[in-house]
Amino acid sequence: MVKISVLQHAPAEHLPRRPGDPTPVARNLDPLMHPFARARERTRALNAAKMTRMFAKPFVAALEGHMDAVEVITKKPGDLITVASGSWDGGLIVHNISTRSHILNLPQAHKGKLSGITFADDSRILSCGVDRTVKLWDTRSQDETPSMVFPGKSPFNALDHHRSDPLFATASNIIQVWDESKTSAISNLTFPTATETITSVKFNQSEPSVLASIGSDRSFTLYDIRTGKAERRVIMHFRSNALSWCPTHPTTLLLASEDHNLYTFDIRHMDTPSQIYKGHVAAVMSCDWSPTGLELVSGGWDRTIRLWKKDRGTSEDAFHTKRMGRISSTVVTNDARFLLSGSDDGNLRIWKSNASEKMGVVNSRERAAIEYRDELVNRWKMDKEVGRVARARNLPKPVHQASKLKTTMLEAQRVKEERRRKHTRSGDSKPKAARKKAVIVEQA
Amino acid sequence: MDSLIAKADALGKKRKYYAPSAAGPSKKPQSDRTFQSIQKRTSVPKSLQVVTPENAKEYKHIANKKLRTELNKQSAQNSQAKALLEDADLLLTGEAGMMEVEGEMDKTWRVGQSEMAENSGQEAARGRREWKLDGGPYRSRYTRNGRHLAIAGSTGHVATFDWQSGTLHTELQLQETCRDITFLHDESHFAVAQKKYTFIYDRDGVELHCLKAHIEPTRLEFLPYHWLLASVGNAGYLKYQDTSTGQLLTEHRTKLGACTAMTQNIHNAVIHLGHHNGTVTLWTPNLPHPAVQLLAHMGPVSSVSIDPSTGGRYMATAGKDSTVKVWDCRNWKGCVREWTSRGGQAEIEWSQRGALAVAAGGTVNVYTKPSIHTTVHGNTQPPLYMTHPIPQRPLSSVRFAPFHDILTVGHNAGLSSILVPGAGEPNFDSTEADPFENKKARREREVKALLDKIQPDAIMLDPEFVGTLAPPPSAAEDSTIPFARLSRMDRLKVSGKIDDTEMNSSDEEAPQDAESKAARKEEREKRKMRGKGKSMKRYLRKQRKNVIDPRAVAVRAKLEKQKEQKRKEIELRNGGEVRKPSALDRFKRPS
Repeated sequence: MVKISVLQHAPAEHLPRRPGDPTPVARNLDPLMHPFARARERTRALNAAKMTRMFAKPFVAALEGHMDAVEVITKKPGDLITVASGSWDGGLIVHNISTRSHILNLPQAHKGKLSGITFADDSRILSCGVDRTVKLWDTRSQDETPSMVFPGKSPFNALDHHRSDPLFATASNIIQVWDESKTSAISNLTFPTATETITSVKFNQSEPSVLASIGSDRSFTLYDIRTGKAERRVIMHFRSNALSWCPTHPTTLLLASEDHNLYTFDIRHMDTPSQIYKGHVAAVMSCDWSPTGLELVSGGWDRTIRLWKKDRGTSEDAFHTKRMGRISSTVVTNDARFLLSGSDDGNLRIWKSNASEKMGVVNSRERAAIEYRDELVNRWKMDKEVGRVARARNLPKPVHQASKLKTTMLEAQRVKEERRRKHTRSGDSKPKAARKKAVIVEQA
Repeated sequence: MDSLIAKADALGKKRKYYAPSAAGPSKKPQSDRTFQSIQKRTSVPKSLQVVTPENAKEYKHIANKKLRTELNKQSAQNSQAKALLEDADLLLTGEAGMMEVEGEMDKTWRVGQSEMAENSGQEAARGRREWKLDGGPYRSRYTRNGRHLAIAGSTGHVATFDWQSGTLHTELQLQETCRDITFLHDESHFAVAQKKYTFIYDRDGVELHCLKAHIEPTRLEFLPYHWLLASVGNAGYLKYQDTSTGQLLTEHRTKLGACTAMTQNIHNAVIHLGHHNGTVTLWTPNLPHPAVQLLAHMGPVSSVSIDPSTGGRYMATAGKDSTVKVWDCRNWKGCVREWTSRGGQAEIEWSQRGALAVAAGGTVNVYTKPSIHTTVHGNTQPPLYMTHPIPQRPLSSVRFAPFHDILTVGHNAGLSSILVPGAGEPNFDSTEADPFENKKARREREVKALLDKIQPDAIMLDPEFVGTLAPPPSAAEDSTIPFARLSRMDRLKVSGKIDDTEMNSSDEEAPQDAESKAARKEEREKRKMRGKGKSMKRYLRKQRKNVIDPRAVAVRAKLEKQKEQKRKEIELRNGGEVRKPSALDRFKRPS
């Protein structure tokens, strides 16, 4: 007796039931059914990397309106579209970045440079300038006169508003804390031995009575407005140009330094920075955290904007255009999708934070394809060719030349140091990690 | 200030690495109450659970911590995915065909085609067909999804059709010799090896290209993932044409004359050629010489085929010496088994599930899997699974239909397709090859396949090489291990005294420092005495192993002794007398 069965497919199972139905898909995951699975995946990854770079068009728009260099940009907390900017000629503009229109335009808000803006609450804005005043504006009234003026003794360099209370802090040669309803400062904060000019001040977001400031004598200082004292002070090798508190991790602080680097500090260990971010070829002028606390953005004197991942020392991306001047302020919008940069040429520019992101409606199939491509690139980034395509960035020639020169100089320094070490008695001088070199002294 | 710091601690302390103290007991991780309370009531799907399988590879040798973690995570994920693949087998619904006998005396090969067609389903029985055609011995080829068939008669009758629905795509009378036919990526194009050149036609039979570089072709193969059309001809040139760009990629001169046996290994895209002097050569477009060359038969090789069911591990060859041999592609030292096929030269082909069809003389024999792969010494035929007589000699081609239990045999009077239960893979994958695909799916797959086209320089014997990491460095390259702790071999390696010519000659892409070492050796050799630089001598010197094996010396001495003794015995037997040792013997020359 013989048992015979011959393979036959039921066509009904593999054809659509009714016209218009999708065709059924059969899968067999046996690796023998998929020859060259790895090689094909690599090809797909390479194509994905190329597509990502092909679609990388980060520039969205330029917002005009300022007559002089943009000095400062501030986003409104809890709002995706409202952004205020101030310029060197004292002009103040509140932009709606979604319609690219002006909500408020004050060409002569201050005499001379407008050095700081902060949102007080939903509709009011505080600004300070080198004309020794802090002014309070109402965005609803379109009024050219401020609703309140706080006179000071010296030119202000920066100001920041308390997260919840009607308090704000200004930076001049000292830190002053003001009440919105009083015309004179309620307290002065200064480190006892300091004789610096304070260039920037920021309130912590989760412990709002803590303040951080940076000064012209290469220091950054932490204050507490409840004790009214400076708590810690750190002197570094170079002065910092901007600072920013991490929005998700309350003890992390970011500094943009004059030595072309950015530093993050954990304020529990102020003797060493937790990470150095190297990549700019000139002084870093501004920095900001993404609201997720995982990415950073910085703008520099070298006319580039760089994007960083937290705790990764090399930049993920660099944005530039032909006509952009030196960047004095950068901000990440509250949905983390866009960056804003203000530069010397008087323009405010909007950039995508993911250069190859597609604007507009993305359907689910496209979304799935994009996610698959991203994962492929991430998985194959160690491959020589895929990694090269994914990492390569075309930089402006001066930036490229400067970075080459910088590498040469740093390499020469390293070699010199090594030779010196080789020709001294062994053990006399040990190599020091770059992170340990950054801080000169920590004062308490 | 302190409250800020306290707040930060709530998020978890900054990790610090302490050296483990010898005395202090290690702290156990505190149990998470929330986790435990949820754990009872929730169960995460198996595919989402993070398990580190035991066989996951760990990259301990990589110094960069971030990279190491990433790689370990990836390898854990990979091995988990592999384990989950086994579960996915449950979802496969198709059932393979089979033929089983109950009694000892019953044999499967006694079952004839008519009985088989009766006992199988109506749909399956349609696979048993006879095409009676004039125009000489026919060759045939299926598309990868098994739906379409292309046939070419040696006098110039060429046709392509959907054999299931019976729709004819095209029928041509080319009026000249056609030696082979193959579909390109799908049924929309096919290539014919004609008298003088290779021609490409489209589905409607319109001649699209005449490939004048492929002169007098005898066999064609299409590599679907690389979009390469390979041909070999009477002149013995193997040519690769890229069908996506149209450019002739490479041509290799085999130097072995006309060639009439060619096949591809679908798992690594290596072309196997069988030559008239009995050799089988393996070719990739990147090497100007064969990757492997072996003497398979004592006469011309008539047919070569590779087993797709084992990932291309086994190769079968048939020769005009009327033997069929099965080879293990990992070890070319002799064949796995060989047997004589009655009726002279045979045409052979493996099916998707590993059935081997041998068409020789006037019969087609089919052998099945475990027995044809087992090593047997001597000339024994493996147990026969099925046999079918076809009187119209010669049998010029055998092709299994993918995803069907059908074998199509081309012969002098047309083609006949017979049922072979258990030959075809029951479960197809729509992303690779779908017998039921419609026009839209075909177009989409064409575009996707073009985007996924693999560059031809990636063809090599091991297809899994892509994306693998360099192996962990040996102890000699690891600078952290002190010299005193190294093994003797490693010490020699470090001090550069080892003779590494053999290691280098095996693989061409040795690391750079090894190359420089070899270069230094070359320099040293150059400075040697005159007359030693003859190429033959240099070659022999390289082949010589620079090791004195005490065992080999002892064996040699023993053999010498035995020989001497034998000689003496023979001398004695021949009437010679035992010579007394003389004092003058010491001056005698050693013979």
